[in-house]
Amino acid sequence: MGTMAFGRSGASTAGWTRRRARFAGTAHWLLVPALAFTLALVVFPFGYTFWLSLNDYQFGHAARFNFGENYAALLHDAVFWQGLGTTFFLYFLSLALQLVLGTYVGLLLNRRLHGQTVARTILMSPFMMPSVVIGMMWLVILDPSLGAANYILSLLGLPPSQWLASPGLVVPVIALIDTWQWTPFVALIVVGGLQALPIEPFEAAFIDGATRWQAFRYVTLPMLRPTLLTAAILRSVDLLRFFDIIYITTQGGPGNASTTLNIYAYRRGFEFFDIGYASAIMIALMALVAIVVLALMRLRRSL
Amino acid sequence: MSLGPFTRERSPLGVYLQYAVVCLFILAPILWMVEASFKAPTAVTAYPPHLLFSPTLENYATLFETTPFGQYALNSLIVAGGSTVLGLLLGVPAAFAVSYQAITWPATLTLAARMAPGTLFLLPWYIFFTALGLVGSHTVLVITHTVITMPLILWVMLPYFDGLPRDILEAARIDGCSPFHMFWRIALPLVKPGIVVATILAFVFSWNYFLFALVLSGFDSKTLIVAAFNFVGEGATNWGALMAAAVLIALPPLALSLLVQRWLVSGLTAGAVKG
Repeated sequence: MGTMAFGRSGASTAGWTRRRARFAGTAHWLLVPALAFTLALVVFPFGYTFWLSLNDYQFGHAARFNFGENYAALLHDAVFWQGLGTTFFLYFLSLALQLVLGTYVGLLLNRRLHGQTVARTILMSPFMMPSVVIGMMWLVILDPSLGAANYILSLLGLPPSQWLASPGLVVPVIALIDTWQWTPFVALIVVGGLQALPIEPFEAAFIDGATRWQAFRYVTLPMLRPTLLTAAILRSVDLLRFFDIIYITTQGGPGNASTTLNIYAYRRGFEFFDIGYASAIMIALMALVAIVVLALMRLRRSL
Repeated sequence: MSLGPFTRERSPLGVYLQYAVVCLFILAPILWMVEASFKAPTAVTAYPPHLLFSPTLENYATLFETTPFGQYALNSLIVAGGSTVLGLLLGVPAAFAVSYQAITWPATLTLAARMAPGTLFLLPWYIFFTALGLVGSHTVLVITHTVITMPLILWVMLPYFDGLPRDILEAARIDGCSPFHMFWRIALPLVKPGIVVATILAFVFSWNYFLFALVLSGFDSKTLIVAAFNFVGEGATNWGALMAAAVLIALPPLALSLLVQRWLVSGLTAGAVKG
């Protein structure tokens, strides 16, 4: 269990494992309701989605088994490839911004100054607000004709922008909205990581005459890597299946410019009722999330 | 505990300035939304935007007059409350069992469920719950939102159960206490603070959740979140009322998060942190 990176630590309870093994089996049944629920609502539907992905199934028509044809069709579907590209563009851009800015804000918060509580309260607001509210808020601010964002641009002498209505800008703008919402979360994780670091390496570095930048680059950053990877894993899960804010603000538009894989799967399934094909997209997306998360966990384990 | 490398600050003034800029960036859009909700309808869409204005409750009045906002709020309350209770009933005993028996896979399984894209379960759910005639009911929303709340509660509760002194449980067992009694009479009263944190987090997450209710709610069970999304879709001509709705919907989760601020990050990262 010590090698399990994603899950709970077994180290602290290992001593108890042996002692409890003597009367094991007694409390297991307390798990049954939760497991039965998970089986019925998660495991079984997952299997069913996989089965559906192997069928030609339009809602209202009979399903026809077509073994892998949906997956073959994915390979020739330009919207799928565009969606894959959009998903990764949004993912990398947002993740990079959030890790860099989150580290900066985390370091800032780590200086024990007055106003910590107020700052933390402000920081948690964006990611505890419903995504619908975030979407509505930014729709109004970024409105191309009457929004405050374009007014600010005009004050700076810049031309107005179409923001979410611009095919070229929509994904970066969504990345910025997500960065606004989740950088504070990354920052709070970073603070937690910083406060768990030992002081000695820093003392040694400063005694050796390291500058603040050198101390950060060669002492803080390497020691902070597991924390940053934890943040990266959590953000990856959310970013790769990005749905809410896009569906609320653009529904994947303009055109298909912000159609991520999750949006594409949803639209094929619930707007076109093309259930077999939508299931294939969802399974592909699930595989993608699993591969990225497992790779990041491997990386963290190797540190 | 270490103070990190940057505590040897010479002049904190620059740091406070950076603090202020960061906080301003985060707060500005929220304040803009709150401000817009108190503007007269004509002032909301004024261009250039007004910073100074006389506040009015007109938008809030419009919201309650033109939409069944109270009904939506009640739906949200039923769904979030119901899925929190169901999540507690399923998740808390499970957390005790996982901790007590030192088995990991059930916890990992529920975590995987929380990590999967929600759309993955939604098609089968839609098919089955349609067949059962449950789509559009409160029940289906309570059940599906429990897929979010139960793993959250389980993972938040784990460290609390792990932290119980084992001697107490051991002594109870030797005295012939059954596992259920051990859980109900001894462990549960000792982890009350954890229950409070788990309850609040689960409620907030269920309240905020969009996707499941988007597909599975009906006219009578529409949550505030989905209703707000529909306001946007209806053309969103009345920005003032839209922002008033946004403010009211964001208030409960924000107020509740304040209560559990100290445990927020550990609650949200539960399961993903290497031990």
